[in-house]
Amino acid sequence: MKKSLTLLLFMILGLFTMVACTDTTTVPEDITLTFWHTYGDSEEAVLTDTVLPLWAAAHPNITINAVRQDGSQYHEMVVMSFGTGNGPDVARIDISNTASYAEQGGLVALNTFDDFDTVSALYLDGPLSTSLYKGSYYGLPLDTNCKAAVVNMNLLESELGLTEIPATMEEFITAATGRGTFSINVSGVGDWDLYPYFWLFGGSLTNDEFTQATGYLNSAASIASINKLKELNALDIFTIRDIDGTADAWAGIQDTYVMFFEGPWYGFSEDIVAATIPTYNGRSASVVGGENISVFSTSEHPEAAYEFAKFMTSEAVQLAMLTVGQLPILKSLVTSDAVLANPKWSVYMKQLESAQARIPSPNNDEIKTIWSNAMTEIFLNGADVTATLTAAATAMDAELD
Amino acid sequence: MKMTLTMKKRIKKGMKGWLSALPFIMPGLILVAVFIIYPMLFTIKISFSDYRIVTGEITNVGLLNFKNVLFETKDFWYAYRNNFLYALVTVPLIIFGGLIFSYLVNNLKKGQSIFKVGFYLPVITSWVIVSLVFKYMFGNSNTGLMNYLLVDVFHILDEYVPWLYREWTGNGAIWLMGVWKNMGWAMLIFLAALQSIPIELYESASIDGAGLWDKFRFITIAAVKPTIYFVMVNMIIGSFNVFIQVMLLTSGNPNGTTSVLQYLLYNRAFNKFEFGEASAIGLISAVTIVLLTIILNKAFLLDRNGNGE
Repeated sequence: MKKSLTLLLFMILGLFTMVACTDTTTVPEDITLTFWHTYGDSEEAVLTDTVLPLWAAAHPNITINAVRQDGSQYHEMVVMSFGTGNGPDVARIDISNTASYAEQGGLVALNTFDDFDTVSALYLDGPLSTSLYKGSYYGLPLDTNCKAAVVNMNLLESELGLTEIPATMEEFITAATGRGTFSINVSGVGDWDLYPYFWLFGGSLTNDEFTQATGYLNSAASIASINKLKELNALDIFTIRDIDGTADAWAGIQDTYVMFFEGPWYGFSEDIVAATIPTYNGRSASVVGGENISVFSTSEHPEAAYEFAKFMTSEAVQLAMLTVGQLPILKSLVTSDAVLANPKWSVYMKQLESAQARIPSPNNDEIKTIWSNAMTEIFLNGADVTATLTAAATAMDAELD
Repeated sequence: MKMTLTMKKRIKKGMKGWLSALPFIMPGLILVAVFIIYPMLFTIKISFSDYRIVTGEITNVGLLNFKNVLFETKDFWYAYRNNFLYALVTVPLIIFGGLIFSYLVNNLKKGQSIFKVGFYLPVITSWVIVSLVFKYMFGNSNTGLMNYLLVDVFHILDEYVPWLYREWTGNGAIWLMGVWKNMGWAMLIFLAALQSIPIELYESASIDGAGLWDKFRFITIAAVKPTIYFVMVNMIIGSFNVFIQVMLLTSGNPNGTTSVLQYLLYNRAFNKFEFGEASAIGLISAVTIVLLTIILNKAFLLDRNGNGE
């Protein structure tokens, strides 16, 4: 009797254990993912009101704790989180920081997930390439942007005598010559500011593999490009605000500047419109900006974080975020009605075709410094263009992998 | 035998004293150990290492970080120079201005509090907010107050100046902000010193026929001399902690010529992930401050109570 009772007890215990095990596998554990971002008010509203409810409906067991961080100190916060281990599971990060975070070991290589090849095939090549570091992808493209021309149509007609935005830079320069005041403005000599002009006038930074600057940054074409900018500056056509002490772009475009290059995040009006950058010698140029969404190494739930990253790049989310100016990164949306119907988005999506990415490198900050120091020497201190670009190319070589 | 017993007694007494004092000093000791001693020792260790922040991996690299900081680029020497220049320019102005204004306020019959608050207001105002105000003041084109006044109103200059993007005007703006922000503190310290001077000294000097200048020189200056040393030492040490105004006004531009050590440190750590080099810069700053303090103490013969002789 005693034996039977013991057996029965063991059987009941075994049954409970089996049921418990079955429960664990069928009912997923409730988890919370922390998502860091730097969206502005309007973007955050769409995230909270539209995007996250979509996620919650599809993934009721995974709660997203979306934390809006201060944009000006965001990079520092990410670096601090690497040190303390108190970082997010998943975060929206600037494309230019992705390689350096990856080099530090702070991000998860997403191409280790089984479906990465299928998923990544949906993205535009340019934005996707910004998360590539040493053969692995450390993020999914989340949103993209680039610079396009911002033109004051009134000044274009009254000051330059043009009724339409010229298709070529040559036409623009001819019309602006002799006007007596600057018609094109750029804020400073940094990469984001000056690369589009440098590329537009024929310059190049490195080879296609981003491994060598010598022979490219100091090539005859690059020297000619910088000399062209110096010439336009001397002709009072092109001004660099930080060098010449001239007005800010958005202040100056109201009554002085006819054109400058800018991203899609500011308000345009009937008179101040976005246009594709006029070509020079038959080619246009721009610089790619935007953000990636990356999974942090410190995450305890990398699979769920990856799932959320994929969700943020889904068509529904991309279309929702487009309404607040976040340009989509999906190939399928480039020619969608939502993009083409909007005069501003269509211009920027068109401009993306000729936009180039900055050098994807963990030493991005050093490369930026080398570039801006060289440009400061040339434009501010009147240094010799060839010698300065050659020295900069040598310094850049040391920073390239 | 007697000697050992006495020693034992003394040790016992000492231990007893320590044990009774320990509960009172322990919280402070723990805080100092955790937040000052440990980070300091860790910084020294990192300055000789290659530190990977995510993995926490620390590899000894000897003096490589110091070599890179001191000899690889000109950045460090510009920053080092600028810290000394900041001290050289701002400290005399702060002391002189603080002294003059405290003397004037001290002689006011009415409204002392209003002036005290007025002068002290910049001290308690956020560095960030003041930096933004200065940024607008030294802004480009006619959007900046200085350009607007000098070019558009008074026609002293023909062209707008990019103040914050030139080596000397950028440094000038940083110095001016330092003087404006710190003068109120010096003024208040001097005011306290002035108010501690016995009135009888002035009365007897008047009886002896001393004029205003004599009284100021032989009584006021003589009495506040230790305070001047105190303010000077504090300000010189403070000159090596300049950071926020550089970050917000010039970011070291153009080409690092307006940078300072703390900004360089920040830049190496957070933008370049070179924590070893950043720690080396921190260590060099600390050694410089210690040396300066020793030199100043020797030069002005400060005694243990901080009184100048």
